Amino acid sequence: MSPLTLITFLPVVGAAVILALPRHNHKLIQWTALFTALVVLIITASLYPQFDMQKVGINQESSFQFTEKHAWIPAFNINYHVGVDGLSFPMVLLTALLSFLCIPASFGIKKGVQGYFALFLLLETGMMGTFVALDFFLFYVFWEIMLLPMYFLIGIWGGPRRIYAAIKFFLYTLIGSVMMLVVMLMLYFNTVDPVTGGHTFNMLHMMDQANQTGIILLNSTRILMFFGLYIGFAIKIPAFPFHTWLPDAHVEAPTAISVILAGILLKMGTYGIIRILYPMLPETTVSFAWFIALIGVINIIYGAFCAMAQKDLKKLVAYSSISHMGYVMLGMSAFTAAGLQGAVFQMFNHGTITAMLFLLVGVIYDRAHHREINGFGGLANVMPRYMGITLLAFFAGMGLPGLSGFISEAMVFIGAFQVWKVYTIIAIFGIIITAGYLLWTLQRVFFGETNPKYLDIEDINGRELFTLVPLGVIVIFLGIWPHPVLDLMNSSLAHISEIMRSVTPL
Amino acid sequence: MNQSPINIDLSPMIPELTLVGGLLLLLIVDLLAKRNKGIIAAVGGSILLFVLMIITLSAEEKVGSYLFGSVVQDGITVFFRLLFCLAGIISLGLMSYKFKDEGEPHLLILSCILGMFLLAGANDIIMLFVSIEMVSIPAYVLAGYGRKDLKSAEASLKYVLYGAVSSGMMLYGFSLLYGISGTTNLPEMAAKLGHVSGTSLPHMIGLVLVFAGIGYKIAMVPFHFWCPDVYEGSPTAVTAFFSVAPKAAGFAALMRLMPVYVTLEPTYGVTAVGMITIGSAMTMTLGNLGAIWQDSLKRLLAYSSIAHAGYLLMGFAAIAAYPEGEIHDLATAAVMFYLVVYVFMNLGAFLVVDLVERNFGGEHIKWFRGLGKSSPLPALALAVFLFSLIGLPPLAGFIGKFYLFSALVKGKLFALAIIAIANTVVSLFYYVRIIRDMFLYEAEGNIADQVASGAKFKTLGGILALVTVIPTLILGIFWGQLANWIHLKVW
Repeated sequence: MSPLTLITFLPVVGAAVILALPRHNHKLIQWTALFTALVVLIITASLYPQFDMQKVGINQESSFQFTEKHAWIPAFNINYHVGVDGLSFPMVLLTALLSFLCIPASFGIKKGVQGYFALFLLLETGMMGTFVALDFFLFYVFWEIMLLPMYFLIGIWGGPRRIYAAIKFFLYTLIGSVMMLVVMLMLYFNTVDPVTGGHTFNMLHMMDQANQTGIILLNSTRILMFFGLYIGFAIKIPAFPFHTWLPDAHVEAPTAISVILAGILLKMGTYGIIRILYPMLPETTVSFAWFIALIGVINIIYGAFCAMAQKDLKKLVAYSSISHMGYVMLGMSAFTAAGLQGAVFQMFNHGTITAMLFLLVGVIYDRAHHREINGFGGLANVMPRYMGITLLAFFAGMGLPGLSGFISEAMVFIGAFQVWKVYTIIAIFGIIITAGYLLWTLQRVFFGETNPKYLDIEDINGRELFTLVPLGVIVIFLGIWPHPVLDLMNSSLAHISEIMRSVTPL
Repeated sequence: MNQSPINIDLSPMIPELTLVGGLLLLLIVDLLAKRNKGIIAAVGGSILLFVLMIITLSAEEKVGSYLFGSVVQDGITVFFRLLFCLAGIISLGLMSYKFKDEGEPHLLILSCILGMFLLAGANDIIMLFVSIEMVSIPAYVLAGYGRKDLKSAEASLKYVLYGAVSSGMMLYGFSLLYGISGTTNLPEMAAKLGHVSGTSLPHMIGLVLVFAGIGYKIAMVPFHFWCPDVYEGSPTAVTAFFSVAPKAAGFAALMRLMPVYVTLEPTYGVTAVGMITIGSAMTMTLGNLGAIWQDSLKRLLAYSSIAHAGYLLMGFAAIAAYPEGEIHDLATAAVMFYLVVYVFMNLGAFLVVDLVERNFGGEHIKWFRGLGKSSPLPALALAVFLFSLIGLPPLAGFIGKFYLFSALVKGKLFALAIIAIANTVVSLFYYVRIIRDMFLYEAEGNIADQVASGAKFKTLGGILALVTVIPTLILGIFWGQLANWIHLKVW
């Protein structure tokens, strides 16, 4: 059995165990969940030294690692097929890490503890499965499995407008996924399995243009398929103009769920575009690269301006996520090796940085029970340790040199500038706006007169530090020495870059 | 017709004969029994249906047409007979709660199933018509079985009136088709129709009328008006049966008629594919839009069942577009797979609605608020069924939809696929609304105490819940076996 199968299904086993535990023994449930996520993290981490960084993956079945393949539904040639390459492995690492850290961050939850942790672990299975699946049908099933726990996690444990936010999230994502379903079927019925001659859901066969036949060879069909898949993924990113579910979902979701949402779920959109859209419809993608880049720039600037206008701290972080995902889109639409590496590295870094930001918002919300940026002031005097970590996270979000965000953003700009000169120049202003809203927020929250209400507010505690410090260490470490993550993805992304640059646009 | 040797082989009729015999036996037992008549009839009926399943399966090999070509036995016959038995057994279990001391409703269900058995093998328009009536007439009585309930009486009357009109239309359509082809046998009719010159107009009108008649039975828009009222008025257990079995029977009839439909050349712009496509698109759209505004769960599920009839009709559009070949088989298999899944998830949903109605006295949505807290298991089961009805993986409903979408995409019927996508999204609203009320809301006002007392599955309910929940879960993940089996049935 592949370790990937283990890390994918262990959480769901943990969820089943939790459901069997006595309902009111919260401690036991919490520790079972933590233990499950820890085991998943340890297994995932143990794969790191075994991972061969030279192997390419992407569209070469032989160079995927830790693969496992079984026939699942032979009638439709559907396989249980998992494996990782340089594109998915960093995401798997991120998923294991954030899922683990989010469990202690959820220990404050008092209502329906059993259901919460069971759903949380089910969510982890969905996320892992999405990143390791190499069969489109399997990918789709995992992609959709995430919807249900997310709906309940926001809808039951969320804030005052949680029900509205949950259904909005559900609807948006479902629209995207049914569009993806139709495109998936079109690909299936028009892809020939080189071995059997039948149809196939194997993503790697779908990527080989020689296997594609029938109507999907028509340019008009390919354009429709491109937009079908693009919308499916863009809703998850979320790319302008499909982003409106995100601020609602984030504001209402409990802290840990916001972290998962921003840290991992958003990455699935860009991951899907690189994993599926790029190699399967390369020339169509190249023809519409300007579109992805344009949306990326809109995301950067529009997201940053929206963030600046927010009064609610969590909404600010949510909009900053939209802005930061714009860098990913800009970088990956350039198809240069640097741009793609910057994009995927930015996905990883945004996962850690935004997780810190949401956790930090959660810390202050637990104490003050509100998130009004203007309702604080002078917290530097009463919460010095909290301010220290917040400074780190904010500076990382700004892309300050020495922190991980800087490297990925710089790589995105270097990679994108070769192709999209105007877009990149516009996008660079995003950094200034970002610095503007983050510094302004720092000033309003930490400096000035201490709000007398918060004179005896408790500084950040051990459990919270436990979740934040590892992320902070990663942010600093990767800012100085990014190779542990960058080297994972180099050869895979160079290969995608090669594929994309060798095709002629429509 | 093959009339030469008057040597009638009744062996292919063994399932029907067994059913008739068993029915008569149960009737006598019912007369003799003093107490628990309903339970005796339900248990006896279930055993009978189970035996029928075994007989049907053991006679699976006997392929061919019998009784002067009026009855055919093939994979589709076997499939539908098994499906009807399955739906019958689950429905009888559900009925035995409401009708503990009355045997008749159970026997009426069995007579309905007798009609369905004949329908599954009908290969002749007379046989088809008679068996459709045999399904309908016990159904009219069943709808009115809540004798003191005005709504039930209304339901029954509406059902009869609409049913009579639809039968009349269908019969008139048949008469036109018979007039053109000079035969009542379906394959012969299919071979002759379209080759008689100057008959294209009556040919088209005949097929439209028959489609309308079938449309009534499967609650296709615009012939669906009876459906919500009948579903709401009938006793819940009966509604559960109505929502699956007679509907599946209507689809079985339509499937038998498809070779006749594909003979239609475009006449005044009317084609078989066009007819079914428009029917399908309207049915799912209006069914889903109608469901959004419903507060009665029975009415909501009635509209949802209309929408699902629309999804199933998508498969028929693909069958009509491709009279034979790979896509034809795929679409046929898709319809059959969807019907199996639909039986489990829809009966399951009614099972929980019935439980709530029996415990709290109503099936208005207000009784479901806070159910997740007071009665976690029934609420969870209902959530599984509803998510499956939406079509979310990893549940069986997703695979059913996946199958239908496959047929559409393979058949390049993209317009219908896109309408179905939009409908799936719309359907999310009203299904999730129930789930939201169960899990995210608290019970309200003066009924809070009652809801808080909870509703639990008893032994029988628990078994029925497992019988419906387990396939809904399993068929979402391990559906290869069933898919293979259905593919074998389709040839």
